[in-house]
Amino acid sequence: MQLENASAESKKNIDFLKSEFKKYMLEADFVAFKSVREKSRDYTIRNGKPDDFFEFTDEGILIELMYDGHMGYGATCELSAEGIAHAFQKAKHMTEASQKHAMFRFTDAIRPPSKGRYETTRTRKLDSLSTAEIYDFLKKTSLALKTNDKIITAKSDVMLIECTQAYLSSAGAEFIQDFDLIVSSLSATATDGKETQTRTLNGGRGNSVQGGAEFFNLSKALEMCEQISKEAIELLTAPNCPTETCDLVLAPDQMLLQIHESIGHPLELDRILGDERNFAGWSFVQPEDFGQLQYGSPLMNIVFDPTVVNQFATYKFDETGNPAKKKYLIQNGVLKAGLGSLESQARSNISGVANARSSSWNRAPIDRMANINLEDGDLTLPQMLAGIERGVLMTSNKSWSIDDYRRKFQFTCEYGRLIENGKLSTVVKNPNYRGVTVPFWNSLAGVTNTSTVETYGTPFCGKGEPSQVIRVGHASPYAHFKNIEVFGGG
Amino acid sequence: MKSYLAQLSQKLFADLKSGEDVSLELHSEESDFIRFNHSKVRQNTVIRQHELTIEFHFEQKIYKSTSSLTLQLADDLAVLTKKIQSIRQAVTAIDPNPQYFQMQNNGQSEVYKKSQRPSTIELISIIAAVFNDSDLAGLWCSGPIRRAAINSKGQFQYFENDSFFFDYSLYNGPRAAKGFYSDENWNEVEFKSRAQQTKNTLALLSRVPVKVNPAAYRAYLGPMAVAEIFDMVNVWQGFSRSAFEKGFAPLKKLHLKEKTLTKDLTIAENNLLGLAPHFNSLGEISPEILPVIERGELKNFLVSSATAKEYSLPSNQASPYESMRSYEVKPGNLEQSEILKTLDRGLYLSNLHYLNWSDVQTARITGMTRFACFWVENGEIVGPIQDLRFDDSLFSIFGDNFGSFTRHQEIFTTTATYQKRSTGGCKVPGAIFNSFNFTS
Repeated sequence: MQLENASAESKKNIDFLKSEFKKYMLEADFVAFKSVREKSRDYTIRNGKPDDFFEFTDEGILIELMYDGHMGYGATCELSAEGIAHAFQKAKHMTEASQKHAMFRFTDAIRPPSKGRYETTRTRKLDSLSTAEIYDFLKKTSLALKTNDKIITAKSDVMLIECTQAYLSSAGAEFIQDFDLIVSSLSATATDGKETQTRTLNGGRGNSVQGGAEFFNLSKALEMCEQISKEAIELLTAPNCPTETCDLVLAPDQMLLQIHESIGHPLELDRILGDERNFAGWSFVQPEDFGQLQYGSPLMNIVFDPTVVNQFATYKFDETGNPAKKKYLIQNGVLKAGLGSLESQARSNISGVANARSSSWNRAPIDRMANINLEDGDLTLPQMLAGIERGVLMTSNKSWSIDDYRRKFQFTCEYGRLIENGKLSTVVKNPNYRGVTVPFWNSLAGVTNTSTVETYGTPFCGKGEPSQVIRVGHASPYAHFKNIEVFGGG
Repeated sequence: MKSYLAQLSQKLFADLKSGEDVSLELHSEESDFIRFNHSKVRQNTVIRQHELTIEFHFEQKIYKSTSSLTLQLADDLAVLTKKIQSIRQAVTAIDPNPQYFQMQNNGQSEVYKKSQRPSTIELISIIAAVFNDSDLAGLWCSGPIRRAAINSKGQFQYFENDSFFFDYSLYNGPRAAKGFYSDENWNEVEFKSRAQQTKNTLALLSRVPVKVNPAAYRAYLGPMAVAEIFDMVNVWQGFSRSAFEKGFAPLKKLHLKEKTLTKDLTIAENNLLGLAPHFNSLGEISPEILPVIERGELKNFLVSSATAKEYSLPSNQASPYESMRSYEVKPGNLEQSEILKTLDRGLYLSNLHYLNWSDVQTARITGMTRFACFWVENGEIVGPIQDLRFDDSLFSIFGDNFGSFTRHQEIFTTTATYQKRSTGGCKVPGAIFNSFNFTS
């Protein structure tokens, strides 16, 4: 492995992984060891005072074994020779028994012999950030959010994640990936006694990037605090979003959720193949839809792209060693490819991507999103608004619900603005909208240009049995949809 | 594990300096996860996972740090000692915490439970055989979960439960019926009987589907559907005092007595169900039964010791997150045999899916119907429905539009496995509503 820049501790861990792997690499038709070491710091300041200071150092090994085309898994944090021996033997017995009832017989083509190294593009590593530096940033931003006595909760939070994954396989794979990830959030809750409203930076934890300490920009964050706080106060006296069918413009930080729930999940091939039916759900997308289904209007171009520098879910290989590449999932509105790993591609014969990922060392890889992005159009935002006689602009997700086939959805945003005769007008609270996936995307009538594209993500995409959360990225411009059912609270 | 923890904690506590206190929270599991699709094994994973969380208290400051354990004493001790040294450094940079409270010795206790069952390898064959005529998707989960809460004041609480569940659904094309089996001990007769019930429900779904337009209807929600509603309110901290104080307050009107709920609604944290440790993550022993809503009125918010300190309130030893660990919704008088007759005309909903708030201020929630859901006419099932979305207020469905709870309650142990296995669950009845609003 290429470890020139690795720390002494990292080198020691890799040496241990290699020496243990050598003991077992010939014990099954295929054997792989994946190690994960992840340190996360999650700090919250509320109203200028410490709320929660938490860190987690998680470390363990996932063992993959194939017998007669069936892949089974063992996982342990008991990182000693005895601990790994126990995990290997238990996984071996369970996999030998399970293969008699295997759902599918794979070949070793599902685990390519990839070699290489990946590191987050950064100028300053996150481990160089001291508690004092982070505390100073959080305290200043939290206090900046509390601009008014009506703000009862002013919260600034950051999650810093340093993760190293290494993978060795009996097929010859040998790669290491080193990620620095930042999730920062700001939130102001205002009340006047009767009404209470919360405004956040891009909806909960939407502000998720892969990068180094240079991403902390206090002056920019303080500007955001002022706007968030002002909008929280504005919402206290705003009328409810009206109930009507009209045009809808979604800001990029709501498109994050719209893309995620109504494109990402239904295109996961393991859902289409039925693996998720008992938990996350199935999909309205059928295998024969690929290459045929007019998923959206011709303005809709959706890419799977884990190669975008500093986007949240960027990597060089998925966790089975499949090299990451950009691919169109939907082009000019037509469904082209699914979110399926080499395993799902073998089962379905549908074109897929490098997306076998797991939440950590203790879960098997499954089909996941990475960066799923809507490509830009050619309108400026004023040009888009100018073409709308009556509509609502909705910003920042607050609540989400969608059926188990990913058809009927209902989403709530934090902040709405009416659009009247081509211009933004009244601020409205509790803006909700609902729709059905394919008609909704076919009503896409406009997409703004590249200068308006914003990049977000979430650290908490849930799926799988046993369940896993994973980090995904979504970039989007503003998007205009026609004839959508909108409504307010009450 | 208990003796290992005793050795480890003794050595760690011995090195603490004056004014420092440390509590240690253990999560440990040895889990077998067998994931099925099409009644065959999709993925099998065996896991040994051990985590220890240090909560460090010094000069009114609090810092928490979780580390994986290798179960090699010298190695773990070295890592945790180094961790405490780095925490000492980190806390110099932060201010006192308004939620700081003095660590207490909440006593010593231990509880061990173990379900008798065949080995997981045998169970794979049993499940494959019982469902070889079906299209099944689901998860077998079994093995011990251990929790402990120890502190430098002398507290040592320990809980170990070697349990199992099988959470599954059966399919006939897009039609599906939900099954679940968990018990104190494996009972193959009971397992097969429940499997047959699920197969029978699936057969009912082969009737001609009924198109139901979105509108308000009478509705029966089975126990799993009722649990979905209260799980959602609980998980989103709807019963939390801390969330209420911070502005997330769906039950504010109930608290202010501006609204009431049906007198038939009594919900309590019930730690006698035995589904979760008898102590919280700090080792505090909660009341055996804490009424939250009693006869339609808000009786208690969940108040942790941290919230109690911050807002000068009495604590009821809730978990720091302030959600109920195990809860019970009290039953009513409606007999199982009378459900369809009482419903007469409306929707029979076995399960709900993906619930969330559509307006927190008015306790309005939305979600979807899922799995076996039927249209009922003249007290008889006519046929399955397409999935419907509902959007209604808790003050409406558990207010003027409430009908009655069933006498029968079901116990559901949690199936949550995000990052690690959870403990807890609920005991809930089914319920009939006079009007339930469906929107699309």
